[in-house]
Amino acid sequence: MLTSAFYFIAFVTIFFAIMVVVSKNPIHSVLYLVLTFFCISANYIFMLDATFVGMVNVIVYAGAIMVLFLYVLMMMNLNAIAEQKRSVLFKISAAVTGGMLLLVLVAALKDANLQIQGSALEAEQRIGSIKVLGYVLYSKYQLPFEVASILFLVAMIGAVVLGKKDNSTKTIGIEPVK
Amino acid sequence: MNEALLLMKPELIVTVIIFILLILHVARENSSPAYLLNLINGLLFINFLCGFFFNREGTLFGDMYVTNGLIVLEKNILNLGMLLISLQATDWLKKKDFIVEFYVLLLTTLLGMFFMLSSNNLLMFYLGLELSSIPLAALANFELEKRKSSEAAMKFIMSSAFSSGLLLFGISMLYGTTGTLNFAQLAMLIDGNPLQLFSFILLLAGFGFKISAVPFHLWTADVYEGSPVAVTSYLSVISKGAILFVMASVLFTVFKPLVETWYNMLYLLAVLTMIIGNLFAIRQQNLKRFLAFSSIAQVGFILIGMSGSSQEATASVIYFVLIYVFSNLGAFGVIALVSAQTGKEEIDDYKGFYLSNPMLALVMTLSLFSLAGIPPTAGFFGKFFLLMAGAGKGNFVLITIAALNMVISLYYYLRIVKVMFMEKNETPMEKLQISLFPRISLLTCMAGIILIGFTTLLYDYIFSLSTSF
Repeated sequence: MLTSAFYFIAFVTIFFAIMVVVSKNPIHSVLYLVLTFFCISANYIFMLDATFVGMVNVIVYAGAIMVLFLYVLMMMNLNAIAEQKRSVLFKISAAVTGGMLLLVLVAALKDANLQIQGSALEAEQRIGSIKVLGYVLYSKYQLPFEVASILFLVAMIGAVVLGKKDNSTKTIGIEPVK
Repeated sequence: MNEALLLMKPELIVTVIIFILLILHVARENSSPAYLLNLINGLLFINFLCGFFFNREGTLFGDMYVTNGLIVLEKNILNLGMLLISLQATDWLKKKDFIVEFYVLLLTTLLGMFFMLSSNNLLMFYLGLELSSIPLAALANFELEKRKSSEAAMKFIMSSAFSSGLLLFGISMLYGTTGTLNFAQLAMLIDGNPLQLFSFILLLAGFGFKISAVPFHLWTADVYEGSPVAVTSYLSVISKGAILFVMASVLFTVFKPLVETWYNMLYLLAVLTMIIGNLFAIRQQNLKRFLAFSSIAQVGFILIGMSGSSQEATASVIYFVLIYVFSNLGAFGVIALVSAQTGKEEIDDYKGFYLSNPMLALVMTLSLFSLAGIPPTAGFFGKFFLLMAGAGKGNFVLITIAALNMVISLYYYLRIVKVMFMEKNETPMEKLQISLFPRISLLTCMAGIILIGFTTLLYDYIFSLSTSF
């Protein structure tokens, strides 16, 4: 039962992912991407029992990030005609490179010993529930958690600095009117 | 005193400085630039001095964080470079509004590099790497009114996002095959099956982007040209140095079982990097672009040393990066002064530079000699030890290619010297004012370039700290 459900969700995910690439209209692409994220979240929730991660994935990726994407796309007013034409040579070389990467990846996965991963997962039961996640986050992964918070703080400072105007060029040495 | 606090001392001091700056910015909004710059440079000097005292070895946070003599030394080298760059940037920063923000962003990247150097876990390593590269994109855009600066920031963030993507893909597959992210456990579990090799290639590609080794170097020249000089020197010396240190330790510990495989990869990367870097450096007209390609070529030499995979290899890479800090910052110090006072950055602008600014021309010449590896300067010994470490594997084809590339590099470094000393210029540059801070920085660089060449103590010290392979 679980295996067939997995195959079904995986098939739908891949179908939507292909549609993202194939669609001519960028807005359709983004909408398919939202569906892809939903499917991935479904995988988290049903297959890995990681409810919390699945929810967060929906809220952050499908919700916040994709809306930003759509917003930017609509502001830029892209459409199918604006897409530039690629030369045939470019397309062939891209297909060959991508095909070779796929071949190598499939060959590598075929021979890979994935047993270890299974046992690691069994050891940490119900890894995705909020309780377990919170416990691990504040004990084992405390330092990475703190460093990640510094990263967000600095990203914010950087964005604010870029958004400000540099006033140094115009007001040097001028006393304010009293 | 608490042992844990002492172990994390470098990170904690940098964090404290960041907090001081943030609070200062809120509490005293109208501080004069001169006061701020004096204060910050003083703090950075204290930070540099503190690196020499109360150093401990050990691990923290359940093996997430590790420190030892070698890592402390690497952090001290980065602290020194940070101080030198800060001193050189004073002329440029005096005219800017956002001094505090500039230093907060710069110090956070330093903090990220410290965490990256001390990481004993791929997750920590990745977070440190991100922390050290995302603020740099904002810094590259610090000339807010210049288009080129925005272009540089855009290209930098794109390439660093792409390389982080590759790196993460590699890390996740490595986790899939081994079930751990800890360095020591990974080293035991890696057996070289195809999926692990694939993830290793992705990791190496990620590293390649960050150190701008050749098939991954395309962003380097544009970013270096567009960014402000202080940021360019930071990118080419501190950022690159930190990633080279980490790369050496990751290759030598985690991927030790795959040494036969990555030797061939480093061989190829080193040869390509040296040749392409050199050939493109010959035809550059902008001095910052020129130094970008020269730094690409230098990375090629460092990769040769790294491919030696021995105690000598670790020692020679660290030794070379230390020398590279002095010689590259010597050159960038002169460019920073010229750029801040006249706005000129083309090689042709430096015609007749010796007649108006003899001391600066001399500093530039010594730095370029050291970069080229001409004997009395330290650069010669740096390259010598790198090639010696590379020769340990007995592959003399590689060493011959490196030697030939050193000859090519001599041509373009000497071209700059010729322009400065021998070519006439109708509109020569005026005599530049060298204020106290840049003067100290340039003198330190010169002392480093000359003195390191005359004593082997430093190399012996680094060698004794390095772990055997």
